[in-house]
Amino acid sequence: MWVFLLKRVLIAIPTLLLISVLVFAVIQLQPGGFLENMLDDPRVSRQTVEHIRAQYGLDQPVWAQYLNWLKNIVLHGDFGFSFLNNRPVSGLIWERMGWTVLLAVLTILATWAIAIPLGIYTAIHRRGLAATLANLVGYFGLATPDFLVALLLIYAVLSLGGTNVGGLFSPQYIDAPWSWAKLRDMLGHLWIPLIVIGLEGVAGLMRQMRANLLDVLNQDYIRTARSKGLAERVVLWKHAVRNAINPMISIAGLSLPNLISSTIIASIVLNLPTIGPFLYQSLLDKDQYVVMALLMLSALLLMVGNLLADLTLAWADPRIRYE
Amino acid sequence: MKKTLWLLAALASGVALAQTKTVTGYDSLGVVIGKPGGTLTLALSSAPQTFFYYGAIDNAGSTIANQLFEGLIEYNLANYKIEPALATSWTITGGSKIYTFKLRQGVKWSDGQPFTADDVVFTYTQAVANPEAKGGDPGNFAGVKVEKVDASTVRFTLPKPAPAFIQYMRLPILPKHKLLSFSQEAGKPAAEINNAWPTNVDPKEVVGTGAFRLVSYTPGQKVTLERNPNYWKKDAAGTPLPYLDRLEYLVIPDSQAQVAQFLAGNLGQLNITGTDFPTLKQREVSGAPIRVVQFRALFGSPPHLAFNYDDKNPELAKLFKETGFRLAIQSAVNRKRIIDDVYNGLAELPGNGVAPISEWYYNTTKLLGDFDLKAASAALDKLGLKRGPDGIRLLPSGKPLEFTLTYGSNSSTFSAIATIIQNDLKSIGVKADLQGVLTSNLLSTGRGKDWDAIILGFGDQPDPELRTPIWKPGGALYYWHQSTMPLKEGDPPQFNNFLPWEKEIYDIWDKAASTTNFTERKALYDRWQAIFARQAMVIMIAKANAVGAVSTKYGNYIYDLGVIPGYYPVPLMYQK
Repeated sequence: MWVFLLKRVLIAIPTLLLISVLVFAVIQLQPGGFLENMLDDPRVSRQTVEHIRAQYGLDQPVWAQYLNWLKNIVLHGDFGFSFLNNRPVSGLIWERMGWTVLLAVLTILATWAIAIPLGIYTAIHRRGLAATLANLVGYFGLATPDFLVALLLIYAVLSLGGTNVGGLFSPQYIDAPWSWAKLRDMLGHLWIPLIVIGLEGVAGLMRQMRANLLDVLNQDYIRTARSKGLAERVVLWKHAVRNAINPMISIAGLSLPNLISSTIIASIVLNLPTIGPFLYQSLLDKDQYVVMALLMLSALLLMVGNLLADLTLAWADPRIRYE
Repeated sequence: MKKTLWLLAALASGVALAQTKTVTGYDSLGVVIGKPGGTLTLALSSAPQTFFYYGAIDNAGSTIANQLFEGLIEYNLANYKIEPALATSWTITGGSKIYTFKLRQGVKWSDGQPFTADDVVFTYTQAVANPEAKGGDPGNFAGVKVEKVDASTVRFTLPKPAPAFIQYMRLPILPKHKLLSFSQEAGKPAAEINNAWPTNVDPKEVVGTGAFRLVSYTPGQKVTLERNPNYWKKDAAGTPLPYLDRLEYLVIPDSQAQVAQFLAGNLGQLNITGTDFPTLKQREVSGAPIRVVQFRALFGSPPHLAFNYDDKNPELAKLFKETGFRLAIQSAVNRKRIIDDVYNGLAELPGNGVAPISEWYYNTTKLLGDFDLKAASAALDKLGLKRGPDGIRLLPSGKPLEFTLTYGSNSSTFSAIATIIQNDLKSIGVKADLQGVLTSNLLSTGRGKDWDAIILGFGDQPDPELRTPIWKPGGALYYWHQSTMPLKEGDPPQFNNFLPWEKEIYDIWDKAASTTNFTERKALYDRWQAIFARQAMVIMIAKANAVGAVSTKYGNYIYDLGVIPGYYPVPLMYQK
């Protein structure tokens, strides 16, 4: 087990390096640059632009920029600084991490708490009215882009005279200290992002769970369990669901990088203070070290998520053992 | 006698305590005496990058800076004429090379420290003229000597007369006592100044002479300002400005989300475009508590259609250089339809490099020509561009007259204009292939070589001189004829590549830059505008009106782009 763990960690290092080279190259391929746009301001002359280019080290060859970036990470743990904000990248990411993690954890919890039971229910009662209805909602959730759901919800709230149309708080609570009123205000805003981000996830997971369970229910060992005279409850929960849930663990592991890169458009439309829109803006502005840091974090999360999923699988399923 | 003396002394100390500026004369803009108190919430399209004005070219940062700091002079809100701000008076002597400013007495920074000539000298020498400051203006301050004459007098000595120099005196003055430790004066490297006041700075450090002071910044979400009790302006009734107690900015990047927040009542005022106008106006008419107001604006970027005189295809380059071709294309640009359909009627015919509302404007409407597809077709026929079998005209080499038309794909205005132009060009046998790029990449695309025709906009300014790099041939932004640009930084432009009329324009700008008499300058710039229009150097399309929406809770609303230093109406706004 420990050997397996060590191996995975060791393999992760060259993989991350390779990813970083690729990402860096792709950023360089992007046309244009925000330095040029500064020229429209009457304050800025060509010399100023050249000075700034030199300050950022952008006058050096690309490979030198890359090696420099890598060196600072290895030697100083410094992930570079944001051109636009003139501040270290780590602080900027950290400022936005809290809400990002909170939202992600809440939606993941909500999604799973709703999707798994629904998946099981619709697998058992395949032809019931409730299951058909749940499936319908599922199809709708899968087929509708999240930002469209967001716009529809905002429109609905506005039409009903509501004021909670984006963000996590009403303006007066954003910088207020925590209080019951602030919490209530947040809950009044939170349901929109939860539905928008969660709907697609619920739909996908529900259908996955349903399909897995239907697969398992047709297996021989279920028939055997039933013919042994086990109670239907035991057959379902101990034999069927227990086996059907394994693929879901892998899916859960893969969803970890969603923390950063998923729901960017929905977050922009809903004006959520998360990392997604920050990444988007940095990509547009070619703020290269911010983009590098976020994409590398995303890659790292994917690997960690995968590893965690594998470990959890081994723990959940005695048939899986890593040598 | 004793009493008189006492009175005199009181008067003298009163003058020393506070030389306030009374803001009056805006009846034409509907300004009335307001009522103190209240909170106004506005939107920012991006998070501020820094609170140090000279540390970045950043719209959000400049918008906040306008509330926190003031310059020596400012604009009259109605006619854009220059008025005293932190300076009460100034003289221009020594052959228009010496500018001497008398500073307002008794002004205090928001932390109570006195504002003096040292702050002005510090700001201009350590930040503005600093070549490493990312938001500085070293180009216009090269060789300018800035000295303190006494505690309330500052003198700028220019190496040569610069008629628009007074415009640069709008730049915000920053406190020396807070920023000295980041400056070269304190022995730091020149680039260190950019590290002043990052967004995670203690708000108490950000000290200004503006109407508001910084209270807090919640990263990526909200900037909160409160009334600066030391502010030095008052209204006609003697009430100190600003009226508002608090000013808040919500960071909302998406324009649709901004409109939603405004309709929900979470924003007090919003700058909108002609595209949003119908929805909001409809709501106003049907009784929503909002007002949608339009102004003819000086600032703002009117789009133009440019052709690449140095196109990679030599045949196209030759054609694009011909005035006859550009004029023909101009008659196929349906300005009226663009104004009606794209701007919903909230735009006017453009000036040529100067906003129609500006005092520098020369009426070029007649020279812009009329929309006339037949005439356009005939003009192209005359150039020898005969139609081929599929209706597309043929170049002398027999290849079809086809080129790319680059536009900003994420701007609803630019994409709509591009489509309209493309359609009309097609009907006169010219094939334009649309090529969308991000609006933020338009300028760098234009300054590159990979384009044939492009739709782009540059911001209008109150003095043409400020836009020299755009309109003077060989300038850094004279992008449609890049072969005029100097080969090396600091060299003269490549005169051998100038077209005859470009040389004429070049000479006019050269002369205007050293003429200080307004009438003479105006005559020169008039000639330039006429040549610009007659040659269709680039084809100006339309000048949009400024449209804003404001909640009826607020009074004294004057449209404000937000980012222009010296144009500053917020202190007049009040909550009813």
